[in-house]
Parts: sequence; C-alpha cells; structure tokens
Amino acid sequence: MTEEELAKDLGLVSAMTIGIGTMIGAGIFVLPGVAANAAGPIVVVSFVVGGIIAMVNALSVSELGTAMPKAGGGYYYINKALGPMFGSIAGMGDWMGLAFASAFYCIGFGQYLAVFVGLPEIAFLNPIQLGALIAGVLFVAINYIGAKETGGIQTVIVFVLLSILTAFAVAGFFSFDYATLSGADGLTPFGTGAILPATALVFVSFLGYAKIATVAEELKNPGRNLPIAILGSVGLVTVIYAILVTTMLGIVPWPELSQDAPVAQAASIAFPSSLGPIGGVAAAAAAVMTIGALLATASSANASILASARINFAMGRDRIVTDWLNEIHPNYATPYRSILVTGALIVVFIAFLGREIEVLAKAASVLHLIVYALMNLALIVFREADVPEYDPDFTVPLYPITPILGALLSLGLVAFMDAIEIALSGGFVVAAVVWYFLYARSETPNQGVLSNYIRSREAELPDQVVDAADTVAPTGDEGPTVMVALSNPRTESALITLAGAVAEAEGGRVLATHIVTVPDQTALSRAAENRQRIEASSEDLLSAATADAEAFDVPIDTKTILSHRGIEEVFDAARTNDADTVVMGYGGAQFAAGRVEGALDELTHDLPCDFLVLDGADLDVTDVLVPTAGGYSSDLSADVARALQTTVGADVSLLHAVDAGEETQGREFLTGWADDHGLPDAEILVEAGGIGDVLGRIGDDYSLVIVGATDRGLLSRIVSGSLVIDAVETLETPVLLAERPSARSIRERLFG
Amino acid sequence: MTNDAVDTDRGLLGHVLLPVAHEEDARKTATALEPYGPDRVTVLHVVEKGEGVPDKTPVAQSEEVAEASYAAVREVFPDADDHTAYARDVVGAIFEAGAEVGATAIAYRPRDGNRLVQFLSGDRSLRLVTEADRPVIALPDSDPDG
Repeated sequence: MTEEELAKDLGLVSAMTIGIGTMIGAGIFVLPGVAANAAGPIVVVSFVVGGIIAMVNALSVSELGTAMPKAGGGYYYINKALGPMFGSIAGMGDWMGLAFASAFYCIGFGQYLAVFVGLPEIAFLNPIQLGALIAGVLFVAINYIGAKETGGIQTVIVFVLLSILTAFAVAGFFSFDYATLSGADGLTPFGTGAILPATALVFVSFLGYAKIATVAEELKNPGRNLPIAILGSVGLVTVIYAILVTTMLGIVPWPELSQDAPVAQAASIAFPSSLGPIGGVAAAAAAVMTIGALLATASSANASILASARINFAMGRDRIVTDWLNEIHPNYATPYRSILVTGALIVVFIAFLGREIEVLAKAASVLHLIVYALMNLALIVFREADVPEYDPDFTVPLYPITPILGALLSLGLVAFMDAIEIALSGGFVVAAVVWYFLYARSETPNQGVLSNYIRSREAELPDQVVDAADTVAPTGDEGPTVMVALSNPRTESALITLAGAVAEAEGGRVLATHIVTVPDQTALSRAAENRQRIEASSEDLLSAATADAEAFDVPIDTKTILSHRGIEEVFDAARTNDADTVVMGYGGAQFAAGRVEGALDELTHDLPCDFLVLDGADLDVTDVLVPTAGGYSSDLSADVARALQTTVGADVSLLHAVDAGEETQGREFLTGWADDHGLPDAEILVEAGGIGDVLGRIGDDYSLVIVGATDRGLLSRIVSGSLVIDAVETLETPVLLAERPSARSIRERLFG
Repeated sequence: MTNDAVDTDRGLLGHVLLPVAHEEDARKTATALEPYGPDRVTVLHVVEKGEGVPDKTPVAQSEEVAEASYAAVREVFPDADDHTAYARDVVGAIFEAGAEVGATAIAYRPRDGNRLVQFLSGDRSLRLVTEADRPVIALPDSDPDG
C-alpha cells in the first residue's frame, strides 16, 4: 500500500455515521416540540421541505467533494473558485455556523440532562444553560486531548440511536391516533404560510451532510463513497424525521408536545406502562430515550467541533488565518488552539443566547445556507471557467439547474429567518470581509478561478468587472519564487544572473539554495565532522550569490540543504518552497545521473515547476537566440528571453527553421509568434533546413541559445544522457534549456 | 518490504530507529542521541489515524508535522532516513517500522506528563519498553528545563 492509501481509512459506513450522527441529534430530540408549536402538525412538511433543500445542496457538495477531496469542505471549494474574499466569508460562515450549531446541540443536551438530574440555577444561567455549558466544556476537553475512544463511540452511538428510534417508531405505530395528529384545529392551525418559517427553524437538523466533505481526504475511494454517504445520509434522516415527527404528533397533541424533551415525553406515552409482569416500561422507555438524546446531541456537538478544526486548518493553509491558530499540541497532537477558540465561542453563545434556542438554531442555519449558496456558485464557476483540473467523479444532474436551484433555495430560506439571526450572521459576514481586507488579503497567495477567468478575459469583459476583480484580489502573492539550485561556485554567478533577471521581470524573488549531496557511503559521524567545513563553503557560495543578486531589484533568500539525494532533493526543495521556476546548472543535473536510476524517469516527467538548465559556466546575454517551432514547449523560452530583454537589455533573435521554399509562410508565422509572446522588436530569422543543422550553422554567432523542451521530457533526457539535439551538445555557445511542466502535473499540484 | 534480519554485528547503535512526535521533540531527541554516535539513523513519525473514525487532526496537517520533524533531525544527522507510518496504535506502528527498516535499536526520549495525562493518552513509555521485540534505548533529557 502506498502512504496515500494508508492515510485513507474511513469506509462508507463511517462516513455515513458522521453525517447521520450530526444531523439526527437535533431534528428528532430537540426541535419537534418547538417547531410543532410554531406550525402545527403540518411541521412534518416543513421537515420534508428542509430535506429537499438539503438534498439539492448535497448534490452540489458531492460533485465538489469528489473533484477536490480535501480537508475543509465548503470553504476549500469556495476559496478555490471564488477567491479568498469569498473564501474568508465561507470559512468564517462555516466556522461560526458550526460554533452556533454546537452551542445549539449543547443546549439540547442540557434540556435532556435537566430532565434527568436536578441542576441549579447559577447567576444568569438557567439549569439548561448550566447543563449545556458542562457539556460544551466536556466536548471541548475531549477534542483537546484527542481521546481516540470518542471516535469509536460515534459509530456505536449512531447504531444505538437508530435501534432506539426504531423501537420508538414501532411502539408509536400502535399508539398512533390520527385524531391526535389532526388535532382540534386541523393540520394547519396557523395556515400553510407557517410551513416555510418552520423549515427555517428545523433546517439546523440537516447541517450534518457537509461535514462528511470536510473529512473527504480521509475517505477510502472518495469518488464513490462521498456521494453515497452525503446523499444517503440526507435521504435517510429526511425519511426518519418524517416518520418520527408524524409518530410523535400522533401520540401527543401538538400544543402539548414538550418543547424541551419531546421524545422522552412521547415515549412515556407510547410505550405501555407494563409488559405482562414487568412494570415501569413506559418510564424506562422515557429514560432510554433521554439517554439516546444525550448521546445524539453529544455526538452532534463533538462532530461539529472536530469539523471546525478542519476548516481552521484549511484556512491556515491558505494563510487566511494565522498559523498560530493551527499549532499542534506537543503531547496530544491535536490542533488545540483552534479547538479552544471554537470552544470559547460555544461557551459565549450558550451563556448569552442559550435561552433563545431558536436563535442559535437559525443563526447556525443562516451561516451554513450562505456557505451553501456560495458553494453552488463555486460549482458553476468551476464548470464555466472550464478548469481542466476540475474533474469530479460525481456530477450533479440537470446542470445548471441544480446548482442555480441550490443557491436560490438556500438564499430563499434565509428570507424566512428572523431579523436577529440575519443580523448576527450578517455581522459575521461583514467581519469576514473586514478581516480579509485588513489581514488576509496581504497574506494569502491564492487567487480564485473566477478572478483568473476574469483577468484572462480582460478584453472581452466590461471594465467594471475586471476592476472589481482587481480590487478584491489578494496581494499576498509576492510574485513568483525563482529557486536557484547551486552546487558549483564556477556557475554560481551565471545562474544567479539568470534567476535575478527572470525574478525582476516578473516582480518575484530569488531563493538561492546550496544543495550539498552527501554520498551514502559517508558514515554519519564523518558527515557530522564535515558539517562545519560544509557550512563554511556553503556560506561563501551563498554570500557570493547574494552579492550577484544585488544587480537586480529583487529580494533574495538563501538556504543550505544537506541531502544524500541530489536531484531528487532539488525537486523536493522546489515543492516545499513553492518555487515557480528552478534555475540549475547542466553539470548538476548530469552529475545526478550516475546516482539515481529508475525513479528519476518518473520524477522528471512530473516537474513541480518551470525548469531552466544552463549548459555553460558563463552567461553573456548580449545576443540571445530563441529557436521556435511554435507550440507549448517554447512559451517558456519566450518568457525568459523577454525577461532578459527588459532587465539586462539583451538583443533577442527568433529563429524558425523551415523546409526550403516555405520561407514566406515561416516569416509570417514567426512575426505573429513574436507579437503573441511580447517580443515584437526581436530580430526575425527564418532559415531553411533542419533545426539541428541551422543551429549548428548560426548558433555560435550568438552568446546564448534558449532551447524549449519538447513534450518528451528534457530533463530526463539530460539526466539519462540521451539529449538528441546534437547541435546543442556541440555548440560552443552556452545553451539554456527550458522546460515547463505539462498541464497534467500542474493539475496534480493543485488537486493532487 | 520487510527486513527482519537485524544486523547485530554493527552493534546496538548500528541502525537506530528514532520515533519522534513533533519538531521540538525531534530536535531534542536527535540532540540527546548525538553524543553516542550512531552509525545510521532512521527517523520515524507515526501519523495517528482514527481507523474508521475521523482523525483528531487533519492528515495533511500531521504530514506537515512529520516533514518538520524530519528536517529537525537532519540538522543533527544530515543523512537520517525518514519513515512515515499511519496507525491508530502508535507503539505498534513503531515496532512494525523497526522490523521494516531492520533497526538494531529503538531510541526515544521519555516525555513528561502526569499520571492522569499518561493514562488518558496511553502510557506509551511503558508499552514501548515492555512489548518491544528489539532493544529500546531511553535517552536522557539533554535539557532538563525543556
């Protein structure tokens, strides 16, 4: 098994229990009394409508989740698609939504706990709030320590709950009385207009399915299991809600249904008081239901706290929140600060809003609904921008109707909330936007697909749209990072000059690395002795690099990397330092050839970024020759030539080799190519003959030849010593080989 | 690939498996081992998995911790190999890794924490020394204040 597979250990059942376990606590055990009191028996329809809205959104979550099985769920998709401003809103919305929902579940826990044991009233806290606070602190503590046992219990809890509820449904079926259900005032005592406001209230019962997406990266076979778990859990709980709420209302008339502990009340009536000789059955059933309710609300709260840490982590990775928040506890290996901050929010919500369970429920729903609406937009953006990396295993039916409907239903339901919840949630959205402009905008390096799409079509779109995209675009990207892999003092100056020119042209920075290859045979103790000597030589090399880089207007960082892996380490360092371009010497690449076999071929077919390999110790950029036959492979050569032209005033000549007699078309092509690649004033050369011969003939008249790699993989050919362009080998003039990774490997970097 | 044959003639420190929990722990453990001059070191990080339930920490985050830990060990032993294991049972994973890389010994730095904490998080020190299938070296704390 690969490490990738080892990291994925959640099966379908586990994934479904996360969804069901989170949802069922609220819908069955907490809300039926309150909701029935607001809408009458028709509240069953409210639950079903909520289920339908959840299902439409669940389809979109499934598509996004299978395209990007990453920690963070909704936040991650929105940030990728709509950019970090909406990402901030989504992250904040998801996070606060979970905190509100957790506070709500804790209050539900407190309600049943207060039925079980007498709790005192302390200061401004009523007994329910006190119970909720105890629960909240307990759940936070459990997640802080990361007691692994709680996880295992979740699955057990869900199965126990489903059994308890089945028993209740069976008992209820025999006590069910349609006259009780229809009541004195009919099914709609407040009219059908009460259906949607009640849906707004009970929607919190459906907030569990998206949590499955937040742990998507841990799922086995997410392409199959994620949609089944998400859609399956929504479908299942909707059916359970419809049946059980109908049952409850057929046992207890809706005006009398308990607002605090409805299931315990209904059970005490539904079950016979004695079964033959065994007495106290009804009381026992009520007690079992109470325990069930405690387990259900506990598992909901626990899952929500866990999910909020995932969202914080995803936000931290995009630098929308500081890394401080996601620090891992040295002993418990948990993201303890994130858990504590979420815990503090939960405690505050319980203490100040705990008497208003409806406000907690609806605030959680409003925030989640905003996120769902954005998620649907994100889906449309991914599809319309035609991002090649976006390749979901599951696709929503009836696109674009489904995501549009999902967004409209989500926002539509918000309209049925009360002013206070909308104001609270609106406050958090505003806070997120303020946070984005004050902090995150200058930190986060990522642009959304949407803003790339708009910026890339600057000419076709109205100016206002482009301006708006620029206004909110992140500034944290300090431009590209050009990493120089130095190994030899002789080539240092040439490589740094090249890197400096590229970095300056693109407003980026230079990272000079000295990768010291320690042969495997060197004993560790020897290596340790040598360390000082290595450090000294490394310092010399890197300070020379810093001095050379001063010629350019770019920031430079330096780094020494000790490794026994040679060129593999270059790839690794490029990845870990998020390099956009790597500049290295031909000798360094060749040297590696002797050592690494097999794995290298695969490695070089999956370049982490652009690679520039210089064959030659000196760099003279007065006359630069760029041979091109068009196509993808020479785009990077053009970029480099342009960088040298603008920063060090190189004279650029473009060369196109054609068959004899086709010079006119060749000239036409090359002129167009020059214009397209921002080199309109380059000298145009069209020569008849094979490219190798032409290069051999005229190449030495220039001071540098930039050769773009073909699709066959330039680096692997250098390293394996099979570079076929003989002319390059025989030229006296230094040659710069440029290879840009294929779209496939960019895709892997993005969506992996 | 499993390599159960332990190369004992290289001595106890022929190939030391160094399980570390996080960057700071890695740095201290490596520093504590350095004076004894092991011939070869493999640093191990076990990513705690839920195995059927969501992990307490996102996998990607745990892997970042692992990378930082390896880097910290390489400050002391530049040639150290690394090995990442994914398991719910951390101690079991350490033994498995020991067999897999053919370690001559497992060296670790006992971490403090009161009885309750050790009980809750599972007393790994105890299991490590009582259940091991190869020598286990408890390294002295190089920095008693830390």
